[in-house]
Amino acid sequence: METVLATSLDEALDALTADPGATVLAGGTDLMVSVAYGDLRPSSVVSVRRIPDLHRLDDSFVGAAVTWAELERGPWPAFAEAARTAGSPQIRAVGTLGGNLGTASPAGDGLPFLAAIDAEVVLVSRAGTRSLPWHEFITGPKSTALGAGEIILGASIPPISGKQAFAKVGARSAMAISIASACLLRDDAGSTRIALGSVGPKPMRARRAEEMISAEHSPSSAAIDEFARLVTEEVTPIDDHRSTAAYRRHAAGVISRRLLERCLP
Amino acid sequence: MSDFTTIGFNERKVDGDSLVTGKPVFAGDLDLDHVLHLALLASPHAHAKIVSIDTSRAEALEGVELVLDHRNTPPTRYTTAGQGYPEPSPYDARMFDTTVRFVGDRVAVVAADTLEIAREACGLIDVEWELLPPVLSIDDSIAEGATIVHPEEDASGIFDAARNIAGAVEAVVGNVEAGFADSDIVVETTCETQYAQHVPLEPHIAQSWMDEHGRLVIYTSTQVPFHARRIVSRVLDIPVHRVRVIKPRLGGGFGVKQEILQEDVLGLVTLRTGRPARWEYSRKEEFVSSRTRHPMRVRVKVGATSDGMITALEMDAISNSGGYGTHGLTVLSNAGSKTLPMYNKAEHIKFSGKAVYTTMPVGGAYRGYGATQGCFPLETAIDEVAVRLGVDPLELRRRNHIRTGETSPLFEELGEGRKGVEMTISSCELGKCLDSGAELFGWEAKRSRPKDEGRVRRGIGLSIHMQGSGIPEVDMGAASIKMNDDGSINLHVGATDLGTGSDTILAQMAAEVLGLPLGKVIVLSSDTDLTPFDVGAYASSTTYVSGTAVVRAATDVKQQVLEVAAAMLGSPADGLMLGDERVTSPDGQSVTLAEINLRSLYGADQKQIAATASFVPSESPPPFMASFVEVEVDIVTGKVTLLDYVAAVDCGQAINPAMAEGQVEGALANGIGYALMEEMVFDGSGRVRNADMARYKLPGTLDLAPIKVILVESHDPTGPMGAKSVGEIGINGPIPSIANAIYDAIGIRLTETPFSPEKVWRAMRDAGIE
Ligand SMILES: Cc1cc2nc3c(=O)[nH]c(=O)nc-3n(C[C@H](O)[C@H](O)[C@H](O)COP(=O)(O)OP(=O)(O)OC[C@H]3O[C@@H](n4cnc5c(N)ncnc54)[C@H](O)[C@@H]3O)c2cc1C
Repeated sequence: METVLATSLDEALDALTADPGATVLAGGTDLMVSVAYGDLRPSSVVSVRRIPDLHRLDDSFVGAAVTWAELERGPWPAFAEAARTAGSPQIRAVGTLGGNLGTASPAGDGLPFLAAIDAEVVLVSRAGTRSLPWHEFITGPKSTALGAGEIILGASIPPISGKQAFAKVGARSAMAISIASACLLRDDAGSTRIALGSVGPKPMRARRAEEMISAEHSPSSAAIDEFARLVTEEVTPIDDHRSTAAYRRHAAGVISRRLLERCLP
Repeated sequence: MSDFTTIGFNERKVDGDSLVTGKPVFAGDLDLDHVLHLALLASPHAHAKIVSIDTSRAEALEGVELVLDHRNTPPTRYTTAGQGYPEPSPYDARMFDTTVRFVGDRVAVVAADTLEIAREACGLIDVEWELLPPVLSIDDSIAEGATIVHPEEDASGIFDAARNIAGAVEAVVGNVEAGFADSDIVVETTCETQYAQHVPLEPHIAQSWMDEHGRLVIYTSTQVPFHARRIVSRVLDIPVHRVRVIKPRLGGGFGVKQEILQEDVLGLVTLRTGRPARWEYSRKEEFVSSRTRHPMRVRVKVGATSDGMITALEMDAISNSGGYGTHGLTVLSNAGSKTLPMYNKAEHIKFSGKAVYTTMPVGGAYRGYGATQGCFPLETAIDEVAVRLGVDPLELRRRNHIRTGETSPLFEELGEGRKGVEMTISSCELGKCLDSGAELFGWEAKRSRPKDEGRVRRGIGLSIHMQGSGIPEVDMGAASIKMNDDGSINLHVGATDLGTGSDTILAQMAAEVLGLPLGKVIVLSSDTDLTPFDVGAYASSTTYVSGTAVVRAATDVKQQVLEVAAAMLGSPADGLMLGDERVTSPDGQSVTLAEINLRSLYGADQKQIAATASFVPSESPPPFMASFVEVEVDIVTGKVTLLDYVAAVDCGQAINPAMAEGQVEGALANGIGYALMEEMVFDGSGRVRNADMARYKLPGTLDLAPIKVILVESHDPTGPMGAKSVGEIGINGPIPSIANAIYDAIGIRLTETPFSPEKVWRAMRDAGIE
């Protein structure tokens, strides 16, 4: 397996164009697992970690090569919380947002924040740059709209005010893939957004719950109950070896309620 | 006791430096020339017959040397269990059988120049299957008209093959029915435990080659080198003297390496090809094709008087042995024999059980060995008795537990799958364990605080435990010591250090007897050519059984040393003192051990100062433990968080306290994992769905409570230097202690492990708490 250590976007795009069997490699924490299990045998890999453009991190943009460890210290509290729950220190030191997007696992811990905040995924190829809303980029469980020869540049993040929080339920205290995860944003006017992971084929927004609770400026406990109930109704979890659908549904309601409570004044 | 010079001190492990500096000390570190790599073709079916198998495409692949399957391998029936001979496990396995009995069972093995080729060749083997109905649970196995897992006629030692019973046992003392009738209260509960794997960091690995004399050498990560030699010799039909088994350092075993899973095949490959061979299980194979903990369903009934005396005990266990009966009967027996004797005031005791075949992964030896499964219902039922009587569960146990000088009729009635051995408890400091544990834990204070009523509720629980120290009248350990011209000794033991540190504590014992610093003891263990026999590392036997052999051999050597010194000093031997590497006479004259041995080897009356000694125990003094835990239950999510854990252990004299504490801490972590999260999950056809460490959850440090271990002062008069054992007992604590603490927190008795958030949540929902 040939490895190209690209130091510029140009170099990476060239390498991808030259070999149609090439795969982008960032931290390798997903990719190398697939290789080790024999699920994937790319003819070559193009490492993008040395490309300066992919390291941008400011109030409106997260480069694809930004690591969990960097996000832990980034400008968004909920994103930082999500980053802190990912893997172990070793994984966080190398795992990137671009990789989390590239894998597009329903359990990807970076994705609920992006979904809640309506981030756009910025893609670059020889044909130019395009920007897709998160839900158009993630097309299903572990599938994306990433085209041949395309690289994820990063995610552009709209401005946000108010409170935000992230929570995850896993089978142990660290190094656990989410059984359910959620990110909630609430601005001072009460407008609320909630996105959930691991409870459907891809990250999802609980729109009815959002609409209902956004109308409540200072929600009563009955309103909070109703919000949580709507979330459990909207999610579409499955049974697997980690959890049953019933518990996932319950957990989604519980963490949604807790996040909301944390984001109330 | 206090005048020990090395016993009771935290000596550094004799193999510590080589391990931490990464010396090539493990079985896989050996780099052999022209080695063949073995790969396993494992059964994809839970239960099927091989109608035909075609290996021609595999054999034709460049680099493939040999393909083994049922057609070209010995049909001898045997058990993979590395136990004393004759084994109490049925002979129901073949190297390669025509029927497979679990997903992961052996179908064929390919030996090739590289692992990649061997694996590729496995994919080229064509098997025509006749699928048989799978037997996926205890209920499937015992159902009327159930499919018979072992109908073959040449199997032996199966209790009742027609009813899928690998082994069965019954022990009766008094009359339990009458006992219950006379009791003021009777509590009954049935608990179920799940499939779990040992997950040693180092999966099974072994290598083999022919030595310069044409003898087969097997270099293997095993807990039972001598059993491995015996079983390989029998299965391959070659004399014992043609086989040498060497055990290097081990990366953990926890019981799973008390099985002969690779040595037979490696031996055959090397014999057939003349080439060295190497076989290493992948992590997935370790989960799927090796051994597991027997899941059990255990019913317990406890009768007590209103003043809190336990009068009658009944335990009935069904163990899922999986596709083969290895360790089935003995693990089952220990569910009762290593739990019920603690309550020896009961005059009426009945234990019965059966180990049944299914077409699921095979149970094996796993730390705790049945006691872990048995103590769950027993200790929760005892807790319930305390609750119903309004007695502090600590106090209830104080009133009822066995004491020094007492016995239990069950010791004689129930052994490992057969009658046991009568014995009087030579040391029991359970009282001290309960007192010191309760004090450090703050039992009184925590018990008297008001109950939490919010979303998060705390609870406390305790349980008491015993194990054994070897299998009486079965286990045997031997040691040889010879002394060198600088006064150092070579200590050769059959005992098998699987990472526990037994080489170190055995060296400490020899050093103590001979007045040597530990650095002057050169330990060699577990080489069937070079060391005397030992049954191996299991049944918490090494400290007690092998240790006594070491003390005996050292005592004999000491006597020889004193006799030479007597001649040198002109002073009678029985008045001489040995210590500080010299022998001193009553008048203050002394000679050093070096001088003594120089004389003995080169000077006068020349002879090698050396001795060999053996030990077979006539009893098995149990170590005891009181286990205390505080938990916090989130009643909305069902999540159980451990806040505090205290284990007070009576292991007799701790030879090396830091290592003994390490054993308890490790066993508790192991048990906490089993109590809270570890579980092999299966699909509807018997396939493991989480056969890797990403999906099979072992606890991390964040999942453990602060664990505090107390080793109470204790001295067993029958043990070497007063020692008993400590390797297994800790694992038994977490399940019942945590179950009792959850009950204290939320008033629900959980009867199925692991206590995952989902299970706790469901139990609360069923009970109407939300
Ligand atoms: C032990 C362990 C624990 C883990 N725990 C968690 C966890 O708790 N939460 C969680 O969400 N994930 C977890 N993961 C998964 C993984 O760490 C994350 O998904 C991580 O974000 C992947 O990033 P990476 O840089 O390592 O991606 P890589 O493995 O390098 O790549 C992943 C995929 O994305 C593609 N890709 C990467 N960058 C780009 C780019 N710039 N343009 C186009 N395609 C790209 C790759 O081609 C590949 O298909 C864990 C993984 C391991 C091994």
